[in-house]
Amino acid sequence: MENNKILCNTGTVDLSIQDITGEIERIEKAADSKLSLTPENADSSIAKLVLTLVELIRKLVEKQAMRRVDGGLLTEDEIERLGETLMKLELKMEELKKYFNLTDRDLNINLGPLGDLM
Amino acid sequence: MAILIYSLIFIKDRQAQLNDQLITMNGLNGTNLVAISLGEITAVVSEIKKIELVANQANAIRFAEIIDQLDQQFTLLPMRFGSIVDTLDTVSQMLKTNYQGFIKNLVEVENKVEFGLKIYCDPEKLKEELRLKSESESEILDDSNTEHSVSVYRVYVNKKLKAHRLEQKLLSYIEGVTAEFSEIIGQWDAKSKIKKMVTSAKVVDAVFLINRAGKVDLVRSIEGLQAKYPRLSFVLTGPWPPYNFVDVTLK
Repeated sequence: MENNKILCNTGTVDLSIQDITGEIERIEKAADSKLSLTPENADSSIAKLVLTLVELIRKLVEKQAMRRVDGGLLTEDEIERLGETLMKLELKMEELKKYFNLTDRDLNINLGPLGDLM
Repeated sequence: MAILIYSLIFIKDRQAQLNDQLITMNGLNGTNLVAISLGEITAVVSEIKKIELVANQANAIRFAEIIDQLDQQFTLLPMRFGSIVDTLDTVSQMLKTNYQGFIKNLVEVENKVEFGLKIYCDPEKLKEELRLKSESESEILDDSNTEHSVSVYRVYVNKKLKAHRLEQKLLSYIEGVTAEFSEIIGQWDAKSKIKKMVTSAKVVDAVFLINRAGKVDLVRSIEGLQAKYPRLSFVLTGPWPPYNFVDVTLK
């Protein structure tokens, strides 16, 4: 193989560290995101899976809502009610995560080459 | 004993040149490399005991080195590590059955090589810079004077809106870089596969196929792009065999 396949690497970010760290994080996440169901942990595993989906939907709703706010499509009253709803949803998610002893990192799924779900 | 296939070469009338080169090379575990030809295609193979083909880093690198060495002289389709068949006859049969598909792929990659470009950033630093660069704070959202007079819900929405706008600015920035990069490789009429925002730090991961002769100009162009975007780190690698541009379903 040609000795040097790196033709250009002139940036300021420490790439070797960045790349390796990224890969390690991805592998760790992939391992963590596997659903390992056993009779002992059936409750928490299902909770993790369900909450991951709920969190994904919550974030999608939030993103879409911000698009609408940003686009000037909502009245002040609607924005107010939207804020209340989103805030309460977020607080409820925090409660559920705490109840099931889950962190933000737990509520993610590694989709291999596609990257992380969230 | 099984047969390990390294690559399929678009040999045309250069069989003698390939034979001369194979004499100077070794396959995995020091085995001899052998050419199996059919029409304009030659498969480069070696014998291997299945038990000896351990999927480890050293073997994978050695396998890639052999393909890379051949790629410097010939147009080829690289085979996946571990492409094993039972006999030389099976190789011939594979060439015969899939001949048209191989030729189609070989024509598409003829005299071309693959390059890879990864663009990294420090997402937090970049977001902060983009925020500061905004023409005015109001472009992102200035709620400093209003937070005391509105409800907690409106403050919450404002906070989310700020984050959303910053995210949009980051995406638009990356879109701009990608568009410039696409324009650069467009001059070679390149085939490309570009993934954006692979992770928060790896903002672009692209592979593309251009003429062998384009290497020097390509490096110069990417260095120019790097100079324009000093906050991003560009890593250009290659030339590689066309690993990402072969599409053959074996019959």
